[in-house]
Amino acid sequence: MGRIQLENVTKSFGETQVIPPLNLTIEDGEFAVFVGPSGCGKSTLLRLIAGLEDTTSGNISIDGEDMTQVSPSKRGLAMVFQTYALYPHMTVRKNIAFPMRMAGLSDAEQEKRIMAAAESLNLVDYLDRKPAQLSGGQRQRVAIGRAIVRDPKAFLFDEPLSNLDAALRVGMRIEITEMHARMGTTMIYVTHDQVEAMTMADKIVVLQAGVIEQVGSPLDLYRNPRNLFVAGFIGSPKMNLIEGSEATKHNATTIGIRPEHIDVVPDSGTWSGKVGVAEHLGSDTFFHVHETGLTETLTVRAVGDVALKHGDTIHLSPRLEELHRFDAQGMRLS
Amino acid sequence: MSDRRLPRLLQSPAVVLLLVWMLIPLGMTLYFSFIRYVLNNLRRPEWTTPSLSNWRGLGNYEFVWGNKDFLLAIQNSLLIVCSILFLTVILGILIAVLINKAFAGRGIVRVLLISPFFVMPAVNAVLWINMILDPVLGLQGLAVAGINELIDGLRTMPLLGGFFNLWPELTPISFRATQTSAYAVIIMVTWQWTPFAVLIFMTSLQSEDQQQKEAAILDGAGAWNQFRFLTLPHLARPIAIVVMIQAIFHLSLYAEIEIVSRGNGNKNLPYLIGEFANNNIGAASATGIYAVILANIVAIFLLRMIGKTLME
Ligand SMILES: Nc1ncnc2c1ncn2[C@@H]1O[C@H](COP(=O)(O)OP(=O)(O)OP(=O)(O)O)[C@@H](O)[C@H]1O
Ligand SMILES: [Mg+2]
Repeated sequence: MGRIQLENVTKSFGETQVIPPLNLTIEDGEFAVFVGPSGCGKSTLLRLIAGLEDTTSGNISIDGEDMTQVSPSKRGLAMVFQTYALYPHMTVRKNIAFPMRMAGLSDAEQEKRIMAAAESLNLVDYLDRKPAQLSGGQRQRVAIGRAIVRDPKAFLFDEPLSNLDAALRVGMRIEITEMHARMGTTMIYVTHDQVEAMTMADKIVVLQAGVIEQVGSPLDLYRNPRNLFVAGFIGSPKMNLIEGSEATKHNATTIGIRPEHIDVVPDSGTWSGKVGVAEHLGSDTFFHVHETGLTETLTVRAVGDVALKHGDTIHLSPRLEELHRFDAQGMRLS
Repeated sequence: MSDRRLPRLLQSPAVVLLLVWMLIPLGMTLYFSFIRYVLNNLRRPEWTTPSLSNWRGLGNYEFVWGNKDFLLAIQNSLLIVCSILFLTVILGILIAVLINKAFAGRGIVRVLLISPFFVMPAVNAVLWINMILDPVLGLQGLAVAGINELIDGLRTMPLLGGFFNLWPELTPISFRATQTSAYAVIIMVTWQWTPFAVLIFMTSLQSEDQQQKEAAILDGAGAWNQFRFLTLPHLARPIAIVVMIQAIFHLSLYAEIEIVSRGNGNKNLPYLIGEFANNNIGAASATGIYAVILANIVAIFLLRMIGKTLME
């Protein structure tokens, strides 16, 4: 169980309103990811759900029960912090046992759950070490272990992977996704990394300045971004946004086309320009094209290795069916 | 030159200076403690100059051990040091935790809290024993007299008067007496040194990790459990520092003892050394060595205890 519902929730720090009235429902068992640029209120929203911050107004309910005034420990949620927040003077075993000790579980039950968590997280050999004697990835697993043993209604993650190096991040990303598939518990995951959001989420919540710009599945957001902000935020590399006469041709103020939806053609394409930087990844090639008369830089993805160099003329043809059109307010035109 | 030699060479002046600084006084104390050495003796004038020919072996140690005040002095030293440590650490933690919360006027309160530490020990002792603890003229005397007067007035009340008649007349405590002078010393030194503990604990509390606290809140730890399992272990090292430094300082308390009671029934080891040193340097030195041994035992014992109970 773990259906989390926010109704007209607002949050102000003093005079400044960080979260304007916000409504959101996270279904039981869902993996929801909050993404958005730095300072948009992702952490604040998560802390409101956890109860670490008080709402200024509005209601938060879990499984239909109003939890707005309930203390954090009684909400049945577990949180994993970016800095791990392990207790430095306790061993891994004691760290994992701490919530159970607070709940007054029997020693036998504690030991059973510790071993189960340690086995699933590959921590068995480290149970008697202190956090300072662990690597970043191991510490993060201890923090997750400490969350698991509480058997919470939902897990809250606040950028849990951002202190890890790139390779480890990919590994942990997969581990957490698998953990979700195995346990089926609701998870709310905060990140500013849109790749994490796309790969892990059942449901992505895109935030900007405390406002939800769009909620939907990763592919939904990719295919049908509701406005310019979501269009620019989801997808890597970023969508090309073009204004001016080319947009007017399509009856829009702005048109958007993703780099992977522009084909490189031998000659006489719709558009043409000069190759600036060419990034050859082997599987793909990204061209940064200048002097197209459309925008300053147009990013294009070609499959495989395409032999075009800096300064060469490139001919491009956008797939018109993949074109996104936006009006003067930046909203999508269908 | 090997790569280790140069650093060692560069360190050597400091090391030599420190060794000289420590070893010469310690060596001389040891030397004097094994010979007969007095400042004034008409019958045996040769004892008035230190010399190996006056070798006394462990005689000085036996002499000191047999002195009627020696065990009392050790007992008193331990009582005073341990009581002060206990009180300053407890009070220090309580006050530091209290003023760690933000409130109006916190800056001023902090400065005021630290100020007792800047009072000179002798002044501190004179102020306390004469102006606060004096049974007649001090605050204590005034307060006790005031309370007695108040109760006296209440005795004539109808109905409740009978109840107040059951109350005894309070008598002020004389802190210069044999039995109580140690308590006077403990009170005044605790007052003076609590700010030191507060200062150290306060700085340490400010470096406490807030996310750990939040994690503990979510894990279901209440205020007491957060204090017990996060704050106290976090303070273990500062507590050890406070205990060590204070143990060193308070084992050598002298001014307060002198001013409160002239050592009357209240000698500690330094005071005993002072008394011996009026004439018998050999015995004074032997007492000094006893004091060094005692200081080491106390330090090791206290640190073990802190390490065991707080670090889990
Ligand atoms: N305790 C506070 N007092 C005042 N303002 C705050 C407080 N906490 C957060 N804010 C403000 O609220 C806004 C949202 O902060 P929040 O930490 O939720 O951002 P975020 O989306 O998590 O950013 P990041 O990706 O950098 O972690 C920021 O503008 C921040 O300055
Ligand atoms: Mg954040």
